[in-house]
Amino acid sequence: MNKTLLLATALAVGLIAGCGGPSSSGATASEAPTGEGELKGDLEVMAFEGGYGIDMFQKAATEFQELHPDLKISVSGNPRVWEQIRPRMVAGNPPDLMFPGWGMDHWALVAEDQLLPLDAALDTKVGDGTWRDTFDPNMLKLCQKDGKTYMLPYYIMVYGWWYDPAVFQKNGWTPPTTFSELLVLGDKMKAAGVAPMAFQGQYPYYMIEGMFFPWAQGVGGIQAIVDAQNLKPGAWNSPAFLKAAQMIDELNKKGFFLAGSTGMSHTESQTQFLNGKAAMVPCGSWIESEMKEVMPPGASVQYMPVPFSEGSGDPTALLIGVEPWMVPVAAKNPNAAVALYKHMTSLEKAKEFVRTKGTLMTIKGSDEVELPRVLQKPAETVRNAKVVYANLVRQWYPEMWKEFEGGITSMLNGEITPQQFVDRCEAAAEKARQNKDLVKYEMSL
Amino acid sequence: MRGRGRTAFIISFLAPAVLFYAAFVLWPLVQAFQFSTYRWRGLSARMTPVGTDNYRQLWEDQAFATALKNNLLLLVEAGVVIIALALMVAHVVRGKGPVQKFLRSIYLFPQVVSMVVVAVMWQFIFNPQGLLNAGLRAAGLDALTRTWLGESAWALPSVAVAFVWYAVGFYIMLFAAGLEGIPQEVNEAAELDGSKGWHRFWHITWHLLWSVKRVAVTYLVINVMNTFALVYLMTRGGPDRRSEVMLTYLYEQAFVNSNFGYATALAVGNFVVVMGLSLLILFLFRRNPVEARA
Repeated sequence: MNKTLLLATALAVGLIAGCGGPSSSGATASEAPTGEGELKGDLEVMAFEGGYGIDMFQKAATEFQELHPDLKISVSGNPRVWEQIRPRMVAGNPPDLMFPGWGMDHWALVAEDQLLPLDAALDTKVGDGTWRDTFDPNMLKLCQKDGKTYMLPYYIMVYGWWYDPAVFQKNGWTPPTTFSELLVLGDKMKAAGVAPMAFQGQYPYYMIEGMFFPWAQGVGGIQAIVDAQNLKPGAWNSPAFLKAAQMIDELNKKGFFLAGSTGMSHTESQTQFLNGKAAMVPCGSWIESEMKEVMPPGASVQYMPVPFSEGSGDPTALLIGVEPWMVPVAAKNPNAAVALYKHMTSLEKAKEFVRTKGTLMTIKGSDEVELPRVLQKPAETVRNAKVVYANLVRQWYPEMWKEFEGGITSMLNGEITPQQFVDRCEAAAEKARQNKDLVKYEMSL
Repeated sequence: MRGRGRTAFIISFLAPAVLFYAAFVLWPLVQAFQFSTYRWRGLSARMTPVGTDNYRQLWEDQAFATALKNNLLLLVEAGVVIIALALMVAHVVRGKGPVQKFLRSIYLFPQVVSMVVVAVMWQFIFNPQGLLNAGLRAAGLDALTRTWLGESAWALPSVAVAFVWYAVGFYIMLFAAGLEGIPQEVNEAAELDGSKGWHRFWHITWHLLWSVKRVAVTYLVINVMNTFALVYLMTRGGPDRRSEVMLTYLYEQAFVNSNFGYATALAVGNFVVVMGLSLLILFLFRRNPVEARA
C-alpha cells in the first residue's frame, strides 16, 4: 500500500480532526482586544525555540503572573513549534499568544482571517504616548496588510556580511564599503590563498538577501525594490536587478566564491568561513549564536554592511527581518495575550532581552544598553539607515520565490546568464500576477 | 455446525485486522481523494471545493513532471545497481568461511541506521571539502573532484549512490534467501551436466529467482517512489530542482506553500504512479517461467 498517500491523508485527517465543522473557527469576530481591564483565566503561549531559547518568555510570564494572580499562564515551545500550531489552527483551538517561527506561513494565516488585528491595542496609552509609538514604525509596517496590523515584531535580524576581524587585521585588509573596493580586495584575498566569499548554496535566499536585493537597491534605489515586491510589470528584470545579477555573475566568474558553495548547506558554508577557507559570508545577525558550538578557538565574527553597488540608491539602506508574534482569532483569552505581550515589549524587558540574548529589538531605545561586541556594528548600521526594508516576497509568494532560488543557483552553476536569470524572475512574477487565487500584498515606504 | 463454528473462528481472528485496516488505511485513502478536490491551506478549517482543478494543475505542473522524471531516473539508476550488487553479494556471502560470516553480519547494517544519519554521513562524503574529493586529490585525480551535491549533472546520481548504500542490504537478504530456496537437487543436476559459473547463473539461478525478483522489483518501486528524507536532507531537491522527487515537492506544496489541497492531489498522483508501476511489474512477472515449462 502506498505509504505516501497514507501519510498525506493522515496529516490531513489529523488537521481536520477535532474540528466541529468547517465554520467552527473564526466565525465569531472577537471584540478587539486592548490588553486593558481585568485579566484572568488561562493564557497559553506557544513560542518558537530557536537560538535565543524560550527562557526569557517564561521569565516574563512568571513575572506577569505575579502581577495578575488570577491569570494562569503556560509557556511552551520547541524548535519546530509551527508543526504543533498548524493542526491546532485547523481545529480552531490555537494558543492565545503565539510566536510560530520561520516555518509558519504567516501571511497565509492573514489571508485565512486567522489573526486578530491588533490596532485597538496598539492605540492604547503606554507612558506618554501609545503602545504603537514604542515600536520602530518601519518594523511595524512589515506586519501590516491594508492598514491593519496583524502581527507584532519582536527582535530584528540584520542582514549583511560577516568577517573575522583577526584575519583581516593579520592580512592588512579592511572591510570593503563599495563594490569597486570589493573587487580590489577580492584579488588580494585570492592572492593570499583565501576565497573572498562563501555562500549557503542549498539555501539561495542568503545570497538573494545578502547581494541581489541590496545591490539592486544600490543601483536603482529603494523604488526598484518596492516596484519589484509589488509585482509591477517589468520590475524584476529592470536594469537595477539585471545589474545586481551581473555583479554576482562577475564575482562568480572571477572565482571569488569558495569552490563548491552551491552544494553547501548554511552550516557547511559558515563552517568553511570560520575555518578560514573564505574571508566573508553573507548572513543575518543570528550567525554568532548559530555557530558558537563550532567556532574554532581564536575565531570571531564581525558585521559589515553589504558593499554599496555605487548607483543612484541609498548607501545606508538596510535589509532587515522580523519574526512576528500574533494572536489568533480563535484565541480564548486574547485580552490577556495582548497584555502579556505589552509587558514583554516594555522598554525595560526589551533591554533585558538585548542584554541577555545579544540581539537587537524592534522596541525604540532598547539598544541603549551596553551591547555585546558583535551587535555594535549592526546597531550602528540600523541607526544610520535612512531606509530599512525587508524581503517580503519570500513569505508572500513562496512559489515565485522558489523560481528565484532555482534561477540564481543555475546562474551560479554557469547554466544561464544574468539576463536569463532576471527574465526567469520576471516570468515567475508574471505567473503570480496572473494567478487570480493568489492573495496579493503591498509594500509601502 | 462444525462449518459455522469454523467460520466464526476465522472471522473472530480476522475482524480486528480488517477493522484496523479499514479505519486506518481504506478510509483515509477515500478521504485523500476527497481532500484533493478542495483548495485548502491547512491553516484553518476553510475548504473551498474546486472540483478537478487540482488535477488540471497537476497535469500542467512542470515541477511535478521534473520530480516524476527524477524519481524514474533514480529508480533505473539505483535499481539496476542495487539488483546487480545484491545478486553478487548474495552469492559471495553463501559460504561458511570467516569472510562470509563477517559479511553476513554487516550487510544489513545500513538498514538499522536512521535515514537522517545516512543522509548526514553522505553529505559529509560529498561535501566539496569532504571525504570523496579529499580521496580523489590524494590519488592525484584532482580533475575528477566535483561539487557533487551542487552540480546539475551530479546531484541526483550522488543521491542515488547514498540510496544504494542504504537500501542494498535488504535486497542482499532477499536474494540470499532466494538462493537458499533453490532446491539442492537442481544445483546438483546442473553440476553433473557441467553447468557452472556464468552459464549456471544465467540458465538456472536467474530463472529460479523469479519470485524473489518480483518481490525485489516491487519493493524497489515503492522504496524509490517514496524517497523523501534522503533527498530533503542531502540536497533539498536542488540545485534548481535537479534532484527534486515527488515527495519533496509534495512537502514543499503542503508545508512551505500552504497548498494542502494541491499537495493531497500530488499524493494521489504519486499513488497512481506507484500503483501503475506495481501492476506493470505484476504483468511483466505474471508467469513463473519455471512452472510454465514444467
